[in-house]
Amino acid sequence: MSREPHFREAPLTASAGVDAGRNWEPRRKSRSAGDAARTSYYDQPVIHKPHWGWLIITYFFLGGLSGGSYVIASIAELVGSPGGGRITRVGRFLSLAALLPCPILLILDLGRPERFLMMLRVVKLRSPMSLGTWGLTMFGGCCTLSALSEAAGAGLIGDSNGLRRLLRPVPTRVLGAVGMLPAFFITGYTGVLLAATAVPLWTRSYLLLGPLFLTSSLSSAAAAIALILACMRGTSRKTLASLERLGALTHVAEIGLLLAARANAGDRLARPLESGRLGQLHRLGVLGVGLLAPLALESRALRPGAAPSRAETIAASICALIGGYLLRYVTVMAGRASADDPYSTFAIAGVGAGGPGLSGDPVR
Amino acid sequence: MSIQQAMGFLTDTTLCIGCKACEVACKQWNQLPMDNLGMTGFSYDNTGDLSATTWRHVAFVERIADAEGRRPTRLQPFQSNWLMLSDVCKHCEHAACLEACPTGAIVRTEFGTVIIQQDICNGCGYCLPACPFGVPQLSDIDHRAHKCTLCYDRLVDGLEPACAKSCPTDSIQFGPLDELRARAKVRVDELQERGVETAQIYGDEHLGGTGGIGGLNAFFILTAPPEVYNLPSHPELPQRKVLPGFLSTAGMALALGVAAAFALRGRP
Repeated sequence: MSREPHFREAPLTASAGVDAGRNWEPRRKSRSAGDAARTSYYDQPVIHKPHWGWLIITYFFLGGLSGGSYVIASIAELVGSPGGGRITRVGRFLSLAALLPCPILLILDLGRPERFLMMLRVVKLRSPMSLGTWGLTMFGGCCTLSALSEAAGAGLIGDSNGLRRLLRPVPTRVLGAVGMLPAFFITGYTGVLLAATAVPLWTRSYLLLGPLFLTSSLSSAAAAIALILACMRGTSRKTLASLERLGALTHVAEIGLLLAARANAGDRLARPLESGRLGQLHRLGVLGVGLLAPLALESRALRPGAAPSRAETIAASICALIGGYLLRYVTVMAGRASADDPYSTFAIAGVGAGGPGLSGDPVR
Repeated sequence: MSIQQAMGFLTDTTLCIGCKACEVACKQWNQLPMDNLGMTGFSYDNTGDLSATTWRHVAFVERIADAEGRRPTRLQPFQSNWLMLSDVCKHCEHAACLEACPTGAIVRTEFGTVIIQQDICNGCGYCLPACPFGVPQLSDIDHRAHKCTLCYDRLVDGLEPACAKSCPTDSIQFGPLDELRARAKVRVDELQERGVETAQIYGDEHLGGTGGIGGLNAFFILTAPPEVYNLPSHPELPQRKVLPGFLSTAGMALALGVAAAFALRGRP
């Protein structure tokens, strides 16, 4: 545990003599993973960390919220949930509202924003960012069309204008069902995008990050829709209860995924998640405020015979939304910190590192 | 454009004397500005790292004593008790930066090398964390990603790269890849014969070019574990995680979609 002396203190890892080039044992003979973790080049980072900051973190959150809202709206429409019309309507509008800032955030983050169209030169199936560009474009179309036809259905678009006539033949239910595919993609691809890098903490949990972001997107969306509906007149308790059920479900799944990712990372890689300000945010913000608090409120509301009060729904929703943002923040920032740690890099790509996989023996 | 032979670098660390002529020649030819006049505080390495404006970086590892504090009594047969390595972009056979690039700015040239087309790059920065060796870096000056081009502009005119040209000991050797690989094997055998048992090639499928990378066009002869020079032993092509990652995400989408349908349908 944490016994990686600096190179200055122990320049040689093996006890062999210095002369005759035998300072280090040959690679396959006796060097263990532990030895690799104790050797580095003056503690310098091996890889370059991404520059991503609040712009990208906010995009991760809003993109997830948008995709999640679309999915919930579509499912509510398809299964005909109690008050489903309201959930669908709020979900469609929320989806568009959350999506609108996304391209702006992404373009602002580019080193050369004026060149953002270069993203549309190529389609690369092995580049999650290229796929994401196209996924976002497709989802933008579905999301806008669905929101417009929802607005037409709500009578927000005048009866006799051209837009209304254009929207009339749009098969809303079919569009909603088909649009779920890019919507789900938008919620989860960001996790795969992080995983397909050399950043130790992200790539280590490559099977978990996509599902984690997808689940968190649905929970943020359920919370946001519940929050809006709870503030609107005439929302039935049953409607709120169905969203709280969904919220509780996603929160349980998220806790499971987070615990799995923590166990999978091992102590060295998980260090940024456990120490300092980031560790506190992870424990108190993501787990406490973002998951356990809303889960407690929801399970209270979902007891047989009990109905969720509006105040409880609002409180749980706000907590879940804060947690959803913090999850992205902590994941991105902890990944950046792990990229700066050569011992973490060597733990996944060093002497003792196995091939890819969740079961490889990391340096702990 | 005619298809040429795959070209590359063999950097033989046992010949490096740490003069940094490669760093200077690279900066001069490629007109790269200086980026650090300070001291790092460790060894003679004041460059620190490969960056947008430093495409060769000489690492210095001083070996004063072993873990038990014993001082050396004899010199290595090839150099003093310094390890020096001129680090550079590896021009991987399967390059993570190239696969990650969403604009297609990063391409493979007719020499089998990897370059960033500066008129395409939009500075998204995804190649930075993708590279398992930490090579590309965003520039503060023009906000695009930069790295070694293996002097593409010199190669097309039949010249060798500036760093190899300037290296006074031929620690940096440039040539056709198969020729360099054969030469490296001979050199490693020779070193081992002379008693350097730890001499090994970094950049083949066993070490350095692992995990789907398939080998490095710029490879090295090392006499210590790669970690000592800040190189990962078993780097992996990150894009191998894309398909499994999307499959697990799709599985979760299916499961959550069904669960959400039940949750939203209301109690029967």
